[in-house]
Amino acid sequence: MANKPQFLAILALFAALAVVPLFVTDSYVRHLFIIAFVYAVIASNWNLSLGHCGVFNFGHLTFFGIGVYTAAIASKTFGVNPWIAMLLGGGTAALSALLLAAPVARLKGIYVVLVTFAFTQLVLQLVLSQSQITGGAEGMVRLPFLELGSYSFLKDFKFGYYYVGLVLLALSCLFLAFVSNSSFGKSLKAVRDAEDYAAARGISVARQRILALTLSAIFTGIAGGFYAIYLRVASPEVFGFGTLSLALSMVLIGGVNTVFGPVLAALVLTFATEAMAGLQGFEDARFIVIAVAMILVLRLAPEGLVEFLGKLRLPASTART
Amino acid sequence: MDALLATLVSGLVLGSLYALMSSSLSLVWTTLGVFNFSHGALMMIGAFVAWTVSEVLGLGPIVGILSGTLAAGLIGIVIERLLVRPFYNNRNMLLITAMTTLAAMVILERGAQMIWGARLKQLPRLIPGEVQILGTTISAHEALLIVLAPLILVALWRFTVMTNRGRSLRAVGQNQDSAALLGIDVPVAFALAFGISAALAGLTGALLGSIRFITPTMGSEPLTKAMIVVIFGGLGNLGATAGAAYLIGFIEAFLILGLGLYWTPFMLFLLMILVLLSRPNGVFGGK
Repeated sequence: MANKPQFLAILALFAALAVVPLFVTDSYVRHLFIIAFVYAVIASNWNLSLGHCGVFNFGHLTFFGIGVYTAAIASKTFGVNPWIAMLLGGGTAALSALLLAAPVARLKGIYVVLVTFAFTQLVLQLVLSQSQITGGAEGMVRLPFLELGSYSFLKDFKFGYYYVGLVLLALSCLFLAFVSNSSFGKSLKAVRDAEDYAAARGISVARQRILALTLSAIFTGIAGGFYAIYLRVASPEVFGFGTLSLALSMVLIGGVNTVFGPVLAALVLTFATEAMAGLQGFEDARFIVIAVAMILVLRLAPEGLVEFLGKLRLPASTART
Repeated sequence: MDALLATLVSGLVLGSLYALMSSSLSLVWTTLGVFNFSHGALMMIGAFVAWTVSEVLGLGPIVGILSGTLAAGLIGIVIERLLVRPFYNNRNMLLITAMTTLAAMVILERGAQMIWGARLKQLPRLIPGEVQILGTTISAHEALLIVLAPLILVALWRFTVMTNRGRSLRAVGQNQDSAALLGIDVPVAFALAFGISAALAGLTGALLGSIRFITPTMGSEPLTKAMIVVIFGGLGNLGATAGAAYLIGFIEAFLILGLGLYWTPFMLFLLMILVLLSRPNGVFGGK
């Protein structure tokens, strides 16, 4: 997986992203980068359960939403420091993933899709019904913002938030690269590709699935916490079909077999949808464009665009990962 | 006593709606092994087309409902052809078609938003006036839904049992290869199952358009309820699915009576997850 040119390309990408705010001073463009980082964390972590482990998990956005509401409630209602509230989001998300994984690990095929999907609905209904805690359909607003010493992150056109988002993405990528290259990550692929054989070799299929789901929720939940603290809003919209299909298209277009495909796809697609939103009459059409792109990728390049383009360019060096 | 009877009647209305939605959803599942996430969006298309034909073109509600049914059926066939058929031989067909039909849902919902806009719309009732059932007053249109749902279900059941076309759907659902060996045109059977299922969704939407508001996202709530139903009934058996639909309708009505509107959806989903834990193939499911 981590061959040398790819590794250098990733290093170059992060180095480039690290210097972007020095040249881009526009607060809106920086905002787009921050949103792209959040989506990149969601998509690449989702890929851990969906792509690497083959769990038909349709409830990944629930972990994100739980992170959002944990950070919101902890920081606003209980006055917890927003930095810690963000991290708490990762904890509750992982805990909820563990709860979800216990039944899911025993189910097969379409029932995994149905239960994970129903889990999203369950959490959404809980959020909507407990309006005295969560703000119900209106959500929560005016959450506390980040501070470091006496420096307020609201200053300097999102300069600080940009780096928090980038560091979060970098840590999440390191975590995912570590997991997928470990023997645990390899056993996940074994479970996905040859379940019976993996079980025969002594890999507990259920345990690996539970672990994969739980691990995939940690950074997703922290990203949710960051999203809430950054926007200073928690709204039930995060559980909707819109966020779900956008994140899913990033995973698929980026490629389910890679760690960095979804990251690249998230960066490109966030800017592409925002660019289209500026065009006259494209406010709704952009979601149609993304959906069509997702279908085309599934039909023409099911391994994802990153790997597909790589094959076109380097026909000789395509060692299977 | 009055509250109890009123709850029974409202459970009957909900059950009829869920029975129509879930039986058509389950038809596609049994024949093709595809879970159609765009089913709710097809229902919404039926309602919008019915509204356009009936109100904008002024052709009346009957022609409107028929056009809505037809339009949804045609779109269903297109979805099968473009988004489901290319993946039949794929190892991950189940997951991929769940994703492509989810994409179809996004396309239909956003497309409807662009064509018909966000303003709330409603169809006139097919039959005006009100009806008394068990001492409870409901609109005649809701009563029509209660009567029509079992008739449509029985027609669908007779179709899959009595006619050769209907039997071919079940044959394909049970074993594609041997069905093909018997001379059944498998792709035609798939298109037919998808078309009928989508048309039924369109009909449900057109009928619901007089009771609820017609919006681009009107289909998602009935779709999630249909999901709960098929999990209760187990995917794959029309009778069990219909039975579960009415059961869920009554459970929902009583939960609303006992716990209020807010807690009901939460309890339903919790119930569904608990059911799946103990009976992964549904309460009435065999296999």
